[in-house]
Amino acid sequence: MTEKRALLLVGSPRGIEKSTSGRLGGHLLDTLKARGFGTEQVHVHAAVRSPDALESALAAAAAADLVILSLPLYVDSFPAPVIAFLENVAERRTGAGRAGLFLLIQCGFPESEQNATALAIAERFAAEVGWRWLGGLALGGVETYGGSAHEVLEQIGKALAEGKPAPDLAAKKAMPAWLYRAGGNIMWRRMAKQNGVAGKLRARPYED
Amino acid sequence: MNAVVLDGSRNEQGQGIVTVLTAALAQAGYATEVIALREKTIAPCKGCFGCWMHTPGECVIDDEGRQVARAVARCDLLVYFTPVTFGGVSSGLKKAVDRLIPNISPFFARVRGETHHQKRYAHCPSLIGLGTLPQPDRQAETLFKTLVEHNALNFRSPRTAAAVVALDRPDDIEAIARGLVEAVTQ
Repeated sequence: MTEKRALLLVGSPRGIEKSTSGRLGGHLLDTLKARGFGTEQVHVHAAVRSPDALESALAAAAAADLVILSLPLYVDSFPAPVIAFLENVAERRTGAGRAGLFLLIQCGFPESEQNATALAIAERFAAEVGWRWLGGLALGGVETYGGSAHEVLEQIGKALAEGKPAPDLAAKKAMPAWLYRAGGNIMWRRMAKQNGVAGKLRARPYED
Repeated sequence: MNAVVLDGSRNEQGQGIVTVLTAALAQAGYATEVIALREKTIAPCKGCFGCWMHTPGECVIDDEGRQVARAVARCDLLVYFTPVTFGGVSSGLKKAVDRLIPNISPFFARVRGETHHQKRYAHCPSLIGLGTLPQPDRQAETLFKTLVEHNALNFRSPRTAAAVVALDRPDDIEAIARGLVEAVTQ
């Protein structure tokens, strides 16, 4: 039997090793590897920087049975380099009729619902390029989840390995939104103080 | 009043639409700057939070993305012009939009029941989204309008409107452009 192939596309500017997208996507990839999948990881920002890297990433997508797109929400959608990569996939119809797409997305707000538009864009992309839409997991304020995101990813990995769409699961949140906002605002002040810009946080450099 | 049009087209094919839009804006009293993003060197956002935590209000990347953010911070009306791409905006537009983050504050606020960021500037521009599609596509149009509406919430735009022009229906362009401008100025 031919080995099934899973490709993790990490769409965070921070790369595969240092990003939440890489870490969570890597966990999902590990669950697939444990179930016999051949796996590969590509950093999308690096892939769109050079023609050779782009060709290599598109070839990986063309060979994949399952593509996991893991990224942070940027202004209600994907970071620009991810859109650029997907535009290339669409132009060439890479992997049409073969690949399945799963979206793993997380935003810096506590409400996972804020990822809904991006999820719809991913589903629309899949329909346009002829990839099978396998669903997504939307996380909000991911640093508050603790281990529950990993448990959910393992359940999703099991379904994807069996060729099924991902179950519609929400990771359990550890913190209410009001507390996330309050804690976040304290964190920003603390970080600014460390950087020596505490008094400049509300600067308006472009004011007339 | 002044407007900034961020043109996220890949080529100059949509220039006729931009001209019609600019005329509608002029009629409503706007002086308009059109920024053809395909001609600008704008690196992708690094996700470093430097624009909030190191040089508050300004991106740490010194390229034309800073000039776009400056123009947007000072305008009354921001217009996205973009081919509708999977129901969203093109990479050509998004590279600039991702770099507008310095114009909002890192601090969180509750806005319409959701968490968003506080304003950096007292005056935020209204937002128009004008997308193009080869032919009418209800699903893509709805998604595009939803995206623009949510962007307006994140950028704290006081007014917003969005529409899609089907390129096989050029006769509709003038009415659509006029309708969008009226929606954010009345």
